[in-house]
Amino acid sequence: MAYERLDEALKTLNRRQLLELDTCARCALCTDLCPVYAESKNPLHAPGVRSSRILSLVNKRLSLWARLLGPRPLPEGELEELVESTYHCTLCGRCMETCPFGLETHELWLNVRSLLNLLNQTPPRIKMLGEMLEENGNPYGLDADMRLDWADYTGLEEAPVKDRAEVAYFVGCTTAFKAVNQEIAYSIASLLNELNVDWTLLGEEEWCCGSPYLLAGDREGAREAAERNVEALKARGVKTVITGCAGCFRVMRWEYPKLLGGPLPFRVIHAVEYFSEHITSGDLKPEPLDARVAYHDPCELGRLGGVIEEPRIILKALTTNPVELPENGLEGRCCGGGGLLQAVDDELRLSIVDARLRQASELGVEILTSACPSCKLTLSDGVRERSYNLEVLDLMELLARQMGL
Amino acid sequence: MTLNAYPALYIFSVGVLPYITVIVFIVGVIVRSMKWLSAPRGSSTPLSLTAAIRQIILDVILFRKIYRHDKLTWLLIFLFHISAGGIIFGHMRGFKLWSAELFTPLGEGFKNFLVETLPIYMGYLFIATQLLLLLRRLSLEGRKLLSHPNDYAALILLLATSIAGQGMRITPPEAVDTTYTVSFIPRLVVLHLEKIPSVPWFLIHVILTQLFFMYIPYSKLIHIYTGVITAALYGSRRSEYGL
Repeated sequence: MAYERLDEALKTLNRRQLLELDTCARCALCTDLCPVYAESKNPLHAPGVRSSRILSLVNKRLSLWARLLGPRPLPEGELEELVESTYHCTLCGRCMETCPFGLETHELWLNVRSLLNLLNQTPPRIKMLGEMLEENGNPYGLDADMRLDWADYTGLEEAPVKDRAEVAYFVGCTTAFKAVNQEIAYSIASLLNELNVDWTLLGEEEWCCGSPYLLAGDREGAREAAERNVEALKARGVKTVITGCAGCFRVMRWEYPKLLGGPLPFRVIHAVEYFSEHITSGDLKPEPLDARVAYHDPCELGRLGGVIEEPRIILKALTTNPVELPENGLEGRCCGGGGLLQAVDDELRLSIVDARLRQASELGVEILTSACPSCKLTLSDGVRERSYNLEVLDLMELLARQMGL
Repeated sequence: MTLNAYPALYIFSVGVLPYITVIVFIVGVIVRSMKWLSAPRGSSTPLSLTAAIRQIILDVILFRKIYRHDKLTWLLIFLFHISAGGIIFGHMRGFKLWSAELFTPLGEGFKNFLVETLPIYMGYLFIATQLLLLLRRLSLEGRKLLSHPNDYAALILLLATSIAGQGMRITPPEAVDTTYTVSFIPRLVVLHLEKIPSVPWFLIHVILTQLFFMYIPYSKLIHIYTGVITAALYGSRRSEYGL
């Protein structure tokens, strides 16, 4: 262990975060609501225990006593336990929303991942993602020229890549490359065509939004991705960027200004925000379904993104029988698809999604919708794995379907 | 028996320990603050004062979030903090920060209930909620918590302090209708007693209270004030997100 590097990495924790660690360590008020702990029952995965592990490193190396009496070495396994704790987290932010002291744990856990990245302690499978991102601009290791293949596979007639447009549709890697999600892209494109919007795709110039970089603790990689995408969008004179991916949305709307050090020259909105306006104004009139349909709040869109009402406006227009799941909105229960957990412990991810699917199933939900390709992927995996009798769709897919598109 | 029935112990606990308490407390706060301030600033967002105050009231004073998820824990925590607040407020009368006349408009009987009877029940409530919260922590140990010994030290010290304070209240006083002044720090921290309490309980309570104060900045009890800061910052951030 190179202690100089450890000390430098620990110094990246900011003032508020040190204060938060002191407040959080060994408290258990949020533990029961942590989706990872709820399934694993491993105290190491509890947020308060994670904080106490980080605090222990800080106190051993950087406290006043460490400065006066000399820093203490780390006992064997201490750093490995912190890695396990840090990556057994979906970064859903439930602990943050539950904490009576309002600790911004989501940002704290991201910073701990950066710290572990600096120490070269990122788990191997997540490091591999980084290599694929470097090479191909997406975390799936697929060639950039395959970014528009979804349009062919889904039979979309008009998928414009223009030099200039008012609106850009930022598809996102998980939507463009994962077969289960390609209908989401088709639906959003079809709805934009239906509304005669002057819109464009970025095509091969679209790059990963930067979210996986942040989740892997590589802030510099995320900044470079942000710069690249913003340049491509600026060059087209885009005024509004629409995305159907909750991860892309959160990173572009809330992280890009921080990464790039200033406001963006365009607004970033999620597709549910855009199309809910058109439903309210009467531009879109979907045929309501007679089925029990529920909406699962993606963490990055609801709790971490601030978009809670708009998907419900769409849901009410799509069904005569909307169902509200327990643990919704700001208190939404994570499906398990976040934080790159799949790369570290896929069994645990499937246990987490099973808990959510059980809630939906007990309410007799026939169609479970969401507004995030990672949620759709995870919910679909869960349905297939445990044979639930419900259909998983993105809200945009259902909207397009009920519009006859 | 007067309060200085044990002269050496009295001189130490009233004449010497208060200065040590103040020094240890201030050094603790400085050490903790230096640790926080030695770190980089981080990104700063503009503070929305109304959102910050709203968040403090709802989350730190009313514990809204705990209420939503765990009604029993909320009840324990809420009653614990209410009784702690009541006891701290009651102590302020001894230090002449308010007088019993404040309640005169409510009637003599109600005034006596508020300043004589209620504090005894507050004391019992305070001790009972602490015991139950301690049991809760013990029951979570190993499953959800991996506590350090100092987490328990803070709880046990507070419990011992409260038991001594309650002992002082419920055992017969040494003398009634005799006012007595205890000068911890002359002209700054002076306690005015309307009767001379049971001396052994009083001395134990005074010593433990000061040990507790000294321990605050070195323990997780620091959340007493860090929690207010973090809740305010969070409230402000939520308003930035339009929530």
